[in-house]
Amino acid sequence: MSQTITIDPVTRLEGHGKITIQLNGQGEVEDAHFHVTQVRGFERFSEGRPFYEMPSLMARVCGICPVSHLLASARACEAIMSVRIPYTAAQLRRMLNLAQMVQSHALSFFHLSSPDLLLGMEADPKIRHIFGVAAARPELGRAGIGLRRFGQHIIELLGSKRIHTGWVVPGGVTEPLSAAKRDEMLAMLPEAYANIRLALDWYKKIAGNFKPEIEVFANFPSLFMGLINEDESIAFTVGALRLIDSKGNIVEDGIDANRFIEVIGEAVEPYSYTKFAYYKPLGYPEGSYRVGPLARLNIAKSMGTPLADKELAEFKQLADGPVLSSFYYHHARLVEILHGVEKIEMILNDPNILDKHVRATAGVNRLEGAGQAEAPRGTLHHHYKVDDNGLIKWANLVIATGQNNNAMNKGVLQAAKHYVKDGKFTEGILNRVEAVVRTFDPCLSCSTHAFGQMPLALTLVSSDGEVLDQVVR
Amino acid sequence: MKPISARCLILACGNTLREDDGVGPFLAAQAERRFAGESQVRVICRQQWTPELAEDIAGSESVVFLDCAANARPGSVQLAPVEPGGKAPGLATHHFDAAELLSLSKELYGSLPRISLLLTIGAGSLELREGFSEAVLAALPEAFRVLEAAVRDLLDQPDHRR
Repeated sequence: MSQTITIDPVTRLEGHGKITIQLNGQGEVEDAHFHVTQVRGFERFSEGRPFYEMPSLMARVCGICPVSHLLASARACEAIMSVRIPYTAAQLRRMLNLAQMVQSHALSFFHLSSPDLLLGMEADPKIRHIFGVAAARPELGRAGIGLRRFGQHIIELLGSKRIHTGWVVPGGVTEPLSAAKRDEMLAMLPEAYANIRLALDWYKKIAGNFKPEIEVFANFPSLFMGLINEDESIAFTVGALRLIDSKGNIVEDGIDANRFIEVIGEAVEPYSYTKFAYYKPLGYPEGSYRVGPLARLNIAKSMGTPLADKELAEFKQLADGPVLSSFYYHHARLVEILHGVEKIEMILNDPNILDKHVRATAGVNRLEGAGQAEAPRGTLHHHYKVDDNGLIKWANLVIATGQNNNAMNKGVLQAAKHYVKDGKFTEGILNRVEAVVRTFDPCLSCSTHAFGQMPLALTLVSSDGEVLDQVVR
Repeated sequence: MKPISARCLILACGNTLREDDGVGPFLAAQAERRFAGESQVRVICRQQWTPELAEDIAGSESVVFLDCAANARPGSVQLAPVEPGGKAPGLATHHFDAAELLSLSKELYGSLPRISLLLTIGAGSLELREGFSEAVLAALPEAFRVLEAAVRDLLDQPDHRR
């Protein structure tokens, strides 16, 4: 008799999803799926709106990474306007995106994943959360809060709001940076450096305790994609996409936003509202790839900042070629935080950073435009078509979580097959299957949240619908 | 960056697009105007309370949490002391209640406000729209009177900050 195990909802994620694990009559795992159960509809309800409203509208997709949507959307609009934004505006946007990356990565690492890393996958779920971290290692909790505050406060200083700022507009930004705000940001840097140093040193000490998880947490060959600069250093806001294979060979290079749809397709599966992106020449699902911190570090030859470059060199020693285990997303995330702090310091010390010319203006010069940026979770692509009056006729968003979707599903299956034996599971096994998804830090729908406490129930159901066993926490 | 120390922190929570859930932000905006000249009063308003606020709380001598109460009689105004607590299993880690935030302040920073109060207004409706239900609308003057009196009382007490 076949059985299905359901984890619904999966906890400590951005948004709401569930996992089902299908067992055969012998209690062996046959299949597993990660379902995204929300439907959004932003692409449809933006139709008919003026294109210049799109950045502010699209930022509402997400409460964690609205900046990425602002930037990808603004760049798509600038393609429609055919303008190049002023240098200082580009630098300020870079800083905004890096600040968001720092605060989002800090949320993922410290608030969502550090309970597993510090207290263990088998720890009692009653203490396996941020309070458990606070009690066991308060300095880690403070470092996480400090880095979140660092990123959020820079966003607030630049855009006047911590979330959903309207500061980024097609053509640049609405306000230049003042000297007082620049100095306030510079004063925050020493604490941010200390916090990320503490986290990196701690992570590298404990990572060796997770060798079994490293082996089976979405550890398989795949393609990797991310933005890089012309000098092959990591890029977050402006750059072109590179796609490499699992051996490190370059498969595609210099993919700008307009070429994106030439090489990337999207498939649909009946069990999820999130699409499944794939590299067209290999088809679906063979052309599935990974994006985000792990992919970016696999692709980049350098971070472009001295301290993060040292960490990148160490990271690349983890494997002979691209690092394949998704457990290492955690490590890559910390390296990116360090890079973010360093790069923000470099930008703040740019002699042109207080320049007042921060916005270019133009009308509709093309009827189609696309833009891309790196969100904390990976590459984000916006693509719009407008009529002669600049009203949106069609929009498509390819988000990072969709691009990691197939890898997450494969990873859940890999872990379930490894841990679930004879149809039996424990709370620790349940947590490990969830933790595979957490490594990707998927953003299912940050702008909607559950009201109250999120329960987690794992149910074993027979093929005729009978509930055989249930674990609730 | 260290958060500014305050004698009285007013910490509001709510979503103005969910009808009565917006009562916290509404009262916070009123408090910001009322105490604009008081450097000892700090007002923070968020859609949801997140762990970062633990640092602000730890640096304050007193705190008044402002929120709507989904399970209370619509329009009922209640002011009560609140103690560290909570730590419910399965926490989503994005949103905390007042007791959980106090607990986090204590765990992480070893510091708590001397006095912590929770002011709640019973919600009549949490539908997807702006504005308030009749019950909450009628309770707003009383809610603000209670808030103002509580803040005045906290400010009248001896300053224990070093």
